[in-house]
Amino acid sequence: MSCSPFDLRDFALKELSETERQQVEAHVRGCASCREEVERLRLTEAALFALRDEEIPQRIAFVSDKIFEPAPWRRAWAAFWGSTARLGFASAAMLSAALIVFSLARPAGTLRGPVTARVNPPAAVAPVSEAEIQQRIQAAVDRAVADHEARLQKVFDERVTEIERRNEVTLLRAASELNFMQREQMALVRSSYTLPRTGNGEYK
Amino acid sequence: MIFRAVEETDLIRQAARGAVEAYNLLVSRWEKRVYNYLLRITGNREDALDLTQDVFLKAYQNLRKLDDPARFAPWLYRIAHNEAYSLFRKRRPESDVEELELEATETSVLVGGSSVFPIELGLAVASALERLSPEQREAVVLKIYQGFKFEEMAEILSCPVSTVKSRLYTALELLKAELAPIKARGLS
Repeated sequence: MSCSPFDLRDFALKELSETERQQVEAHVRGCASCREEVERLRLTEAALFALRDEEIPQRIAFVSDKIFEPAPWRRAWAAFWGSTARLGFASAAMLSAALIVFSLARPAGTLRGPVTARVNPPAAVAPVSEAEIQQRIQAAVDRAVADHEARLQKVFDERVTEIERRNEVTLLRAASELNFMQREQMALVRSSYTLPRTGNGEYK
Repeated sequence: MIFRAVEETDLIRQAARGAVEAYNLLVSRWEKRVYNYLLRITGNREDALDLTQDVFLKAYQNLRKLDDPARFAPWLYRIAHNEAYSLFRKRRPESDVEELELEATETSVLVGGSSVFPIELGLAVASALERLSPEQREAVVLKIYQGFKFEEMAEILSCPVSTVKSRLYTALELLKAELAPIKARGLS
């Protein structure tokens, strides 16, 4: 017989409240015989778990059989709302029906002819033909092109004039340099060359 | 929808309104546990599977009678218990069911299934369980393997909590003597 405040089997089977469990734990810490009993109960439980659950050989599938399902109207309703494809098809069908009903119920003659927008031209403006418009546009384009080409030609001529002026200056400088160099060379030749003289210092 | 956690009580309510998919999900959650409960009290895989089918069929047909969806588990096991004992009565109508020893309880069935424990321990446990009375064994199965509380077991077995405790305590004493014998004092 156990001296524990509560049944140790209830303790091992986890049937005690938290408070009761704590009391038993406190008792077991100081009672060797109860501690041994709790240990044996735990060993027994652990040994029982050596037997594991088996997998079920085949899944239970009887609910897929229509005969076990609820009333036909309930099945139909569940199938209808349970199927996205069917719901989509039903929505499309309802939309089509609504369009047909609308087209049939629409008042006749409302849209017999094509819709035309009426715009009154200003009275002060004289009618201008398409060819004249094109002619004016072409003239404006020609003028713009001519102006542009004239501007380009002017810039080109100015550039050419500038380049020619620069070239002339450069040529003049080059000629001047060349002239200077020739004169230097001549001076050098003259200074290095002496005519043969006679004994009394006269040129031979 | 598939990956969303669905509360069991919601599934039960939907199934009670005729949602087959909800009931299928309920079955998938419970079929293994119910099958193993029936396997351990019948000791026969074919019987356990047939009974599991019957249990879920009967549960589906009577789901609207379940007042409190939170009591689904003991309610389902009550059906399983009744189905099993109906089978026993059919097989041996002249016997008193209370005294009926479950037939065809094979050690191989009890030991079956993958286990991380040594096979010797599995055999010892199966042997110890076989020596229990059917009521004691069922009490052990419901408590140890299925994790029910005393009140739930009383509901399933349709008996007082005191009876449940009596069966379970007696079974535990027998199992303890078999599986966790007292150490010989003074011996190392």
